[in-house]
Order: sequence, then C-alpha cells, then structure tokens
Amino acid sequence: MRRKLPRTGSRLMSIEPHSEGFVAIDRASYGYGAWPAIVDHVDWTIPRGAIHCLVGRSGCGKTTLLKLAAGLLLPDEGIVRIDGAALREPGPQIGFVFQAPTLLDWASVLDNVLLPISLKRRPRAVDREAALDLLKLVSLDGYAQRYPSELSGGQQSRVAVARALVTQPAVLLLDEPFAALDALTREELQDDLLRLCALHETTVLFVTHDITEAVYLADRVAVMAAGRLHHQIAVDLPRPRQREMRYGQAFNALCRELRQAMDLAP
Amino acid sequence: MTATMIARLSSALLLLVLLAGWELYCRLAGVPALIVPAPSAVLATLWSEIASGRLLPHLQITATEMALGLALGCAVGLAAGIVLAEVGFLRRLLHPYIVASQVVPKLALGPLFIIWFGFGMTSTVVITALICFFPLMENTMTGLGQVDPARRELFRMLGATRLQTLLRLKLPSALPVIMAGVRVAVVLALVGAVVGEFIGGRAGLGASIIAAQSVMDSGLMFALFIVITLMGMLFYQGATWLERLLLRHHLKG
Repeated sequence: MRRKLPRTGSRLMSIEPHSEGFVAIDRASYGYGAWPAIVDHVDWTIPRGAIHCLVGRSGCGKTTLLKLAAGLLLPDEGIVRIDGAALREPGPQIGFVFQAPTLLDWASVLDNVLLPISLKRRPRAVDREAALDLLKLVSLDGYAQRYPSELSGGQQSRVAVARALVTQPAVLLLDEPFAALDALTREELQDDLLRLCALHETTVLFVTHDITEAVYLADRVAVMAAGRLHHQIAVDLPRPRQREMRYGQAFNALCRELRQAMDLAP
Repeated sequence: MTATMIARLSSALLLLVLLAGWELYCRLAGVPALIVPAPSAVLATLWSEIASGRLLPHLQITATEMALGLALGCAVGLAAGIVLAEVGFLRRLLHPYIVASQVVPKLALGPLFIIWFGFGMTSTVVITALICFFPLMENTMTGLGQVDPARRELFRMLGATRLQTLLRLKLPSALPVIMAGVRVAVVLALVGAVVGEFIGGRAGLGASIIAAQSVMDSGLMFALFIVITLMGMLFYQGATWLERLLLRHHLKG
C-alpha cells in the first residue's frame, strides 16, 4: 500500500490533547464527491473499554464506517484516531472480525488462531498456550487440531473471534459476525464475546442489524442511515449482562426506543 | 453391497461384454487380422511382448519422457501463472503472446525441435512440457485471481506482506483450481509423449507404434494402445491421489 507522507497539519492534530475518546472518529467522510457519500461527516467517540454498537439497515454505510475505523479505508475528509494517534493503515492494536469467519481451510484451528502472530514471527510456546486458553474460553477445548471444514458455523465464528483477540488488541471491530447463526448460538457467542472483552478491557465497535443484539452488548448504540449517525441511546443495563435481562422490561423498552429511532431515520 | 461396488462391477462387466462382442464379431464375420485383430490375438501379442522383455524398455522411455515433460511443463506453467497473476503490467504485456504461442499446434513444431534438440528424448520432453505448460499457467492465473476478497482484507488487516499473502493465502486458495489444471496436463502429457515419439523418437511406445505400422502388425499396435491407455490411467490416478492428499482439508464446494 502506498503510504502518504504525514502532513504537518495532521501531525499537529494528532498531538492535540484528545478530549475523551480512545477511538475518535472526527468528521470522517468516505465516497465524497459521489452523491450521496457512503459515510457523511460522522463524529463518534468510544471511551477506553466501552462497547458501542452501530445499527442500521443494509447499505447504510455501517460496514464502510467500520473499515474506516480499522484503517482498511482512509477517509476522504476528517480523521480517525486511536489513542490520540491518527490512523493511516491497519495495525496490531486493532482486531477485526469479518461477516464470514474467513478461516483458512487448510490450516488447523490452532494455526488459524495463531495466524496474526505467525505472520509477524514464529509462534512461541507462550503464544500457543495463549491461543489454547482463548479456545478454551470460547468453548472449543479439544478442537485445536481440527480443521475448519470439521466445525459448525458457530464454532467457526468462535475461532474467528479467538483469532481477532490473540494479539490482545486494544480495539476490536466486528462486522455482523454472528448474522448467519441461529438464535441460540448467537446468544451464546454474545456472552462469550462480552466475557472475552471484559478480560482485557477491550474497546469494541460492533456493527449489526439486530436490535436485541445491539442492546444486549452495548453501552451505547448509534443508529446509522444514509451515511449519517441519526440517533444514539445509552444502554444503562448492569454488567455483566445476563440472559434473563433479555426478557426484562428495561431491555424491551430500550429495544422499542431503538426500533422507533430506526423507523424515524430516513 | 454398496451402490459404488455395484457400479464398479457393472463397469467391469461392460468391458467383458464389449470384448466378447468384438471377439465374436471378428471370428464370425472373418475380419482380416490386419484390419481389426481379435482381442485374443491382441492379448497374445501383448503377453509375448511382455514375456520377451521387449516392451519394458520402451515403456520406461515413454514414462520417463512423460514424467519429465509433465514436471517441467507444470513447474514453468505454475511459475509463469504466478508471475502473470501478480504483475499486472507483465500480464497485459505478455499474455497475448503466450496465447498466440499456444494456439500454434505444438506438435507441428516437432520437426523444428528435431533440428534443435536431435532425435530422441529431449525433443519429446520439450514438446510434452510445452503442451503441459498452458493449462497450468491458465489455471494458476484463474485460481490466484479468485481469492475471496474478505480473506484478502483479513491479510491486509494483519499487515501481511505481499509474499506472505501469496504463499499463505493465494496459493493455498488457488490449489483446487491448480490441481484441476494438473489433471488436464497429465492427459495432455501422454498425447505429447506418444505423438512426440511419432515425429522424433527412436524408442518408446509411440516409436514402437510407428515401427509396428511399418510391418503392418495391427495386433502389436492394439497391444501398444492397451499399454498406453493403462499408463495414462495410472498417471491420472496418481494425479487424483495427489490432489486428494493436498486438498484433504479444503472445504468442499
């Protein structure tokens, strides 16, 4: 990838004291010029350790916004900062979970989890142990030497989450990772994800179109439509989240509020 | 008895029925052995060739030519496919010429190769390699171009270098398509080796067919067809076996 020389302007901006966000998306636009812009002057900050969800219909630009936050795309305007530093390309501080598990069929589960490390250096015994621990945490104990073709869809998604977390990234970005799973498996994986992220206080941005998923996972949910953020609600349900909460009144009130916000968005 | 076993048994039975029909037709209609020899006569010739030890050296030569040509053609085709897939400029520059060079019937180049490399193994190996080169190159290019965009993005996300992306993502992903090319190359390699010998061979199964033709020995020609067919099936089986080994973990479909 061609690296742009850092311009003095952005240099100055990146050492500005950043107010509150660990992940700060500052008036970021993408696809500008083509009308309408895919992402249109979005402002968003995520405090360290917080879990934020982004909901919206298909094609509203939420995946593009996530890729901007990952450094896979560079904004035409505005800037994305992680811990105060301007983001120019994907880095080891960010983990990404794709829509599909995107495992390597020809590598064992363990090698798949170790992929982020083995692309940098030869994995050591410590790394292997860390990967095995992660697999245990996503209930895949004993599956390390299996191959992706032998796993169910839910198990493949678990491996993908473990792979994204093996380098203990400060930020985890997820793009509808559980959309293809059945409801029960999805709930299990949501619990697994919350447990794993609490372990190292990972800052999370989770994109989904599932309202209950957003409310269950998030501290804050933003509604995106036509490239803009239209509405946000704070989710003040206690942590750790428990399955019983899904049937509580507070939970359902939040879901209704979010649904109404989505209906109001253009 | 399973369905596959029934199918295999029926397949073998069909061969016996066809052979019996052929034998019967030759005997009853009194077809001259020069035109179509009866299966019994062909098998007798085949056996005497094997027993006398005349067949084995020819078989070895053709098998060696085929294996060398296949290996050389596949290696060069794979390398060319990788280079052309990875370097867009070279692909646009060279691809039309490579296609043009493949449209030329390569067997027609045989006489030229005899001038360049002399009679014997070298020219046959070169012809075989030239024929095998193309399916490998085309399939490698196609396979490398079809890598799942999400997985490529994953490798970008993980900061993989271009070489790492090629070796650890693109080539393994393309392997099913590349191996399909190898299977095609195996079949073509046999044609290359046998027909190459027609043109410039001193020994080998193809050269033996020409020798049999010159003495009007149809029985021997049929016997040689059988040997060539069996050898081709053996090579093809080998390729299938290799494919299964290499792709044992790939997701089906």
